[in-house]
Amino acid sequence: MLQISHVSKRYGEKEALRDVSLQLSQGEIVGLFGENGAGKTTLMKCILGLLAYRGQILLDGRPIVKKSKARLAFATAEHSFFPNLTPEGHRDFYSWHFPEFREKRFRGLMEFFELPIHKPLRSFSAGQKNQFEVILALCQGADYILMDEPFAGNDVFNREDFYKVLLGILEPSETILLSTHLIREVSGFIGRAVLLHRGEIAGDVSMAQLEDSGQSLLDFIKCTYRYEADRVSKALGELAGEEDGE
Amino acid sequence: MMDKWSRYVPPGFGLKRELKFFTAGATCAFVWSLAFFFRLYQARKGLYILEGAEWILSPEAQMPDFVEILDSSLAGFGVVAASAVPWILLHYLYHWQGSRSIYLMRRLPDSWELHRRCLTVPLAAMAVSLAAAAILLLIYFGIYLTAVPKGCLAPGQWQKLWRIFGM
Repeated sequence: MLQISHVSKRYGEKEALRDVSLQLSQGEIVGLFGENGAGKTTLMKCILGLLAYRGQILLDGRPIVKKSKARLAFATAEHSFFPNLTPEGHRDFYSWHFPEFREKRFRGLMEFFELPIHKPLRSFSAGQKNQFEVILALCQGADYILMDEPFAGNDVFNREDFYKVLLGILEPSETILLSTHLIREVSGFIGRAVLLHRGEIAGDVSMAQLEDSGQSLLDFIKCTYRYEADRVSKALGELAGEEDGE
Repeated sequence: MMDKWSRYVPPGFGLKRELKFFTAGATCAFVWSLAFFFRLYQARKGLYILEGAEWILSPEAQMPDFVEILDSSLAGFGVVAASAVPWILLHYLYHWQGSRSIYLMRRLPDSWELHRRCLTVPLAAMAVSLAAAAILLLIYFGIYLTAVPKGCLAPGQWQKLWRIFGM
């Protein structure tokens, strides 16, 4: 279990995370939602130890140390692969550093997405780069896979394929924390939704609970954020009024 | 399998290319150092005077000091050694270019991996450059002592040599 307790993070004057507490059990697929700047990426970077923070993050009751680092994988829209290295080179690099690297899964996914194995990553298209980033995270052999906007730039069919593949290959011990803005798309894929708003947990609900209440994920998110559906029409009306008045 | 030596450069950099650049730099430094022989030849020639058809050693002739003849002959090796600093920077910056592979490097269970890959080759190149400069210094000094006629050598050459190192 990944336990995040009272985690806070400041960037100078700005408080990016405020007293965030969250638990991720093994095998869960959790969607992490929030507006731009809500703190999704910051939270993931804190979990991965890429940022210093206040609070505590424990993995199976223990702080994350060198040995347990390999139990966490990360796929980011910024990409964390080496642009000059080929997928083959990445495979060797990962196998060397992560003893649990899933070679068979790597081969299968590379074939499925028809990615060239001998070309350097810099020659890949944006979509292919995203695919490869996710493949690496899935094949590291980690128990907790953190994904930060991994499909930004991929077309809808490609994303659809990925959700299906993910559901098909994930083992019961593998946990996914997926940060995305594609709420409708992932609602059938995740089992739980966590909402961040201005650095705080604004909502945490399981998809089963939502189903029982007859509410869609999008409605739940809108409701939690107190989203005003008529905000745009009001603003446009005001703008039109101003122009008429001139 | 990963090549044993490629583990000492950033992934995707290629050790061969790195060594090629270093070899080119070291070769240039060596060629530059050969100017020592030209200066030695000129200074040695100045010890002699032409008498009739014969070159004879001038009675008051004194050879300039070794450090004067050496001048900046070994400076090229200093430049190659100093290039280790931008070289190291380039290695580190690579992890922010085109992607954020720094995230991966910092997530590795082996926390020395990043530094090993960024520092090893430039620091080794620096050490090799300095060692080559030291060896050439001794060789050139030996050549100087051998080439200068007895009696033309100014005293205290060793002390003057040590002064290069600030000793």
